[in-house]
Amino acid sequence: MDIFVENLVQIWDDGGDGITALDGITHHFASAKLTCLLGPSGCGKSTLTQIVGGIEQATSGTIRIIDPANPATPARPGERSVMMWQNLNLFPWRNVIDNVAFGLEMAGVPRAQRYAHARDMIASVGLKHFEEKRCSQLSGGMRQRVALARALVMDQPILLMDEPFAALDAQTKIVMQEELTRIFERMRKTILFVTHAIDEAILLGDEVVVMTARPGRIKEVIKIDLPRPRSQELINTPEFGDLYDRILHLIREEVLNAMQQQNEAAAQ
Amino acid sequence: MSIKKRPKKSQDPLWLRLLPIASVVLFLAIWEAVVRLRGIAPIILPAPSAIADYLALMIADGSLPFHLGVTFLRIMAGFLVAGFFGILLGVLMGMSRIVSRLLDPWIAALYPLPKISLIPLLIIWLGTGEAYILTISAISAFFPVVISTYAGIRQADQGLLRAARDLGANERQVQLKVVIPAAVPSIFSGLHLGMGVTIILVVAAEMIGASSQSGMGYLLIRYGQVLETEKVFAALLVLAVFGGVIIKAQERIDRWIAPWAIGHR
Repeated sequence: MDIFVENLVQIWDDGGDGITALDGITHHFASAKLTCLLGPSGCGKSTLTQIVGGIEQATSGTIRIIDPANPATPARPGERSVMMWQNLNLFPWRNVIDNVAFGLEMAGVPRAQRYAHARDMIASVGLKHFEEKRCSQLSGGMRQRVALARALVMDQPILLMDEPFAALDAQTKIVMQEELTRIFERMRKTILFVTHAIDEAILLGDEVVVMTARPGRIKEVIKIDLPRPRSQELINTPEFGDLYDRILHLIREEVLNAMQQQNEAAAQ
Repeated sequence: MSIKKRPKKSQDPLWLRLLPIASVVLFLAIWEAVVRLRGIAPIILPAPSAIADYLALMIADGSLPFHLGVTFLRIMAGFLVAGFFGILLGVLMGMSRIVSRLLDPWIAALYPLPKISLIPLLIIWLGTGEAYILTISAISAFFPVVISTYAGIRQADQGLLRAARDLGANERQVQLKVVIPAAVPSIFSGLHLGMGVTIILVVAAEMIGASSQSGMGYLLIRYGQVLETEKVFAALLVLAVFGGVIIKAQERIDRWIAPWAIGHR
């Protein structure tokens, strides 16, 4: 699915002039590509994903979601996408399989059928035999897998991921990144992946969209032409190093800006 | 990958784990010694051994089991009525702004009122029979249940609601499948508060006003009036243990219905 975002503006109501979170975002998120949104905290990258996912309404601007195979009938935001949340938002009263099958249950899929789908997906994220466990009994990395399976089982062409690995320890994070790479290379979904980690963005993305500090604008779009399938070994290559330096240079300025803004806000 | 282990039971040394028992035994021994050595009249303070004798007697003649059973049934009746209406109205208030606006002033006005102060009115209206005991205990337990349920529904994690909508849930499904389950820990804490209040009010109503001449409250008052202090102590002891058992049983039931909710409260 191609996602065309045009002149998107998001202004949060703060009782006064409003806070501009996104200021004229225009970008084409290419179909079947993994695009990373990178920027300092508060730059609106999560907001942008939520607008694309139909979870938030933009103040102004347009989003067109178009299936290249069927360009005549565009989809509404949220209609063909599913979100994997930063804090996962798993339902604590449901066990693993009932979390994964939630979306199918809401759609009225009969029990046997939705469990069969959910079981397959749980197995494919490496959680076989954990179907009946409560989510609170799982480790952080395993809960991530449940959330991933719950999103993937919806079989939507667009997957929105809002810093899903930010809270993981370094080793688990590496495993989950490789898992996502593997899933992406197999399923070829259109993925928007929000992150603030430069190495993660390069490792996962076909494209890295670097955003400015608030108000969020697109500062630069960087193509990542590293070959797939990718693995962690890429980090040691000179190409990776060059990309890292380039993005670090871009992002440092913005992080400093963001810190400046926060200091000013705190001083008021 | 590993399953998170349950926290292990305390690895305290043996003497530390026996300390609570030692504390009780020591207290009883001192009590017994003081009563015997000083020759305190049993009418003022009976020795623990004398209380134990009377306790055995009251169990053997069936009076204690009977009155405890009656009190238990009254508590259950009041608690179930309060729990049913409390959860029902709490859920309706949480889901409908109209219902919450309608009921809000009444709850705000009646909640802080000491429920015992309703006893004269209830006796005028209902007489001194079972209806009076049921009503006073159910009214008292209703408020903590309805307030906790309402709060639990209102405070449902917005992230979970958004996730459910993103996964295709419609508003009715969001309410039934997310908002209500999310309120369960809060409902449980309301039911715990409600149970405590029910026990208090049933015993109080048996002591004051009720004409049934049954129940632990009646027993306490009667033995008190005839200065059978040993029996007063025995009844108190039974009541304390009984309350503890009920609270423990309720925790067990919570754990059985919603094991995930433990620690969420």
